[in-house]
Amino acid sequence: MDQDMLAPLAGHVLSIKCAVGDTVEEDAEVVVIEALKMETPVFAPCDGTVKEIRVKEGDHVEEDDVLLVLGT
Amino acid sequence: MRRYFEKMDDLGRELRAGEIKRTDDNVAALKEVEKEVDAAVERVKTTGFSTEKINERGQMTVWQRIEYLVEPGTWCPLHTLYNPLDNPEDTTNVIDGIGKIGGKWAVVIGFDNKVFAGAWMPGQPDNILRVTHVSRRLNLPLVWLVNCSGAKLPDQEKFYANRRGAGTPFYRHAELEQLGIPILAGIYGTNPAGGGYQGISPTILFAHKNCNIAVGGAGIVSGMAPKGHFDVETAKGLIDKAKEFKDEPPGTVKTHYDETGFFRYVFDEETEVLDALKEYMSEMPAYHPRFFRVAEPKPPRYPVDDLYRVVPLEPKRVYDFEQVLARLVDDSEHTEFRPGYGPEVYTGLCKIDGFLVGVIGNRQGYLGKGYPEYADYPGIGGKLYRQGLIKMNEFVTLCGRDRLPIVWIQDTSGIDVGEAAEKAELLGLGQGLIYSIQQTDVPMLCLVLRKASAAAHYLMGGPPANRHNAFTLGTAASEVYVMHGETAAVATYVRRLIKEDAAGRPLEPVVEQMNELAQQYHDHSRPVYCARYGMLDEVVKMSELRNYLVAFAGAVYQNPTSICPQNHMVLPRLIKG
Repeated sequence: MDQDMLAPLAGHVLSIKCAVGDTVEEDAEVVVIEALKMETPVFAPCDGTVKEIRVKEGDHVEEDDVLLVLGT
Repeated sequence: MRRYFEKMDDLGRELRAGEIKRTDDNVAALKEVEKEVDAAVERVKTTGFSTEKINERGQMTVWQRIEYLVEPGTWCPLHTLYNPLDNPEDTTNVIDGIGKIGGKWAVVIGFDNKVFAGAWMPGQPDNILRVTHVSRRLNLPLVWLVNCSGAKLPDQEKFYANRRGAGTPFYRHAELEQLGIPILAGIYGTNPAGGGYQGISPTILFAHKNCNIAVGGAGIVSGMAPKGHFDVETAKGLIDKAKEFKDEPPGTVKTHYDETGFFRYVFDEETEVLDALKEYMSEMPAYHPRFFRVAEPKPPRYPVDDLYRVVPLEPKRVYDFEQVLARLVDDSEHTEFRPGYGPEVYTGLCKIDGFLVGVIGNRQGYLGKGYPEYADYPGIGGKLYRQGLIKMNEFVTLCGRDRLPIVWIQDTSGIDVGEAAEKAELLGLGQGLIYSIQQTDVPMLCLVLRKASAAAHYLMGGPPANRHNAFTLGTAASEVYVMHGETAAVATYVRRLIKEDAAGRPLEPVVEQMNELAQQYHDHSRPVYCARYGMLDEVVKMSELRNYLVAFAGAVYQNPTSICPQNHMVLPRLIKG
């Protein structure tokens, strides 16, 4: 089952802390979005494997854009 | 009113395994800053003569006196690092805090007799004024441990005179007494001149047998004959005169116990003085806690040590404010005031040690689509917007109506700015909040959890803008500044950059200055710096924050000057609807 991880707010992708194929645990920090001078981390909602990363560092994202796809 | 307070809404949740795993670095970083604070505190504790040296003289140190006097586990020190005029001894030479004595909360202050025999020193008057303010604001007895050799004479111009000088505490003592707040003084050692007035100005004087209090000391009595200059002949005369001077210093117990009766009691042992203070404190007027408690005291359901994982040291990192509050208040319960309105600010009722308090804090992170409602840009927690300001104005005013003390938990980067913000009346609403606080006569505590910045620091219970703030605490994550250093560097140098660029000159020198300014802001906003210069009254370990809240709530409800019956309160009913 695949799960899309969405951007919680509009901003710039400050860092991506995983690569395709990585296994991540629930609550691991996988992406950080910078907006309004603050850093908002995005955490894995469950254990899984990173199947696809759809953004790169520096990208502007809108709220609810898909950041990556997690296979669970 | 049991249905309102015995079981309130649950707050927070346990940390998940992943959260614990990814926050190990934050725990280490916060504890590293706390180590720096500990090291600064240790310098204050060990300044001057050693404990052994003082004990060899048959005296206890001020630290030993406080330890003997105050009930274990209740001491909440304040102003430990305060040294605003940079004394090389790292202290203003008074040690103070809140603690329980004889079962009652009191404000305690004592001269550090290891340093110049407890002399007046630069910065000390302001320290004492802060302490007398705590006593007045919380309506708590003030207990002095007087042991003051008078002014440190080479530095007298820095503290003797002036509007907030070394004489000011004396009228503050009179002011406290006129408000019905007693001042008890245990008196030790030689207390001439300023020390004499420190001794006489309290309400009841408990003397150690070897102490004295006097208008002037033996040195002044034997040598005060100005001739315009000194020479060797005069110096030799002074030596002879001093050697001949055999009298006891003026104002010993023979005079002030046997003759004037200024000393109510005299004791042979230092500890007997402290025992007598304990006995008097046990008789101080105070309500039994059950009079005001709304529920049985309970610890938070989640460990306070979780705060090391919940609060990121990195100021740009967002976190969940409710997770913080859940680790500070009884049973991790609350009743929120106007949830959903003004989402950048939390307002609600919580219990601390069974006592009801109002809590106001900055939420962090994205505030959701369409907020603030007056602008086309997104809102983020830490900032203040129109609804949050209106909500705080309402909540503060209602807390005043119900006589509820307020705990402010600040982590704010400021008020929203720009033309939309002006049209939304934020300037007026901000000052309106200061007006609301000013007419809300209840004790307040401000905790600078992380950022205190811009006017938001003033109007969220910060000490520069209100007289109801009893004290302001900081943490290892605290930083206090008018704006972030990089923002300040841009504001200061951007026009210069434009000019230099237009003239074809290199930008590196200006950039260097910008970096220097940003670094200066960083250095001057660290917790130890802020405590040294009085922006914070104490830097408290995350694990000890709850102790201070318990002391604050207990102190506030010990003997309040104005009360609201629980069955007459409006705020809980407004929330319930």
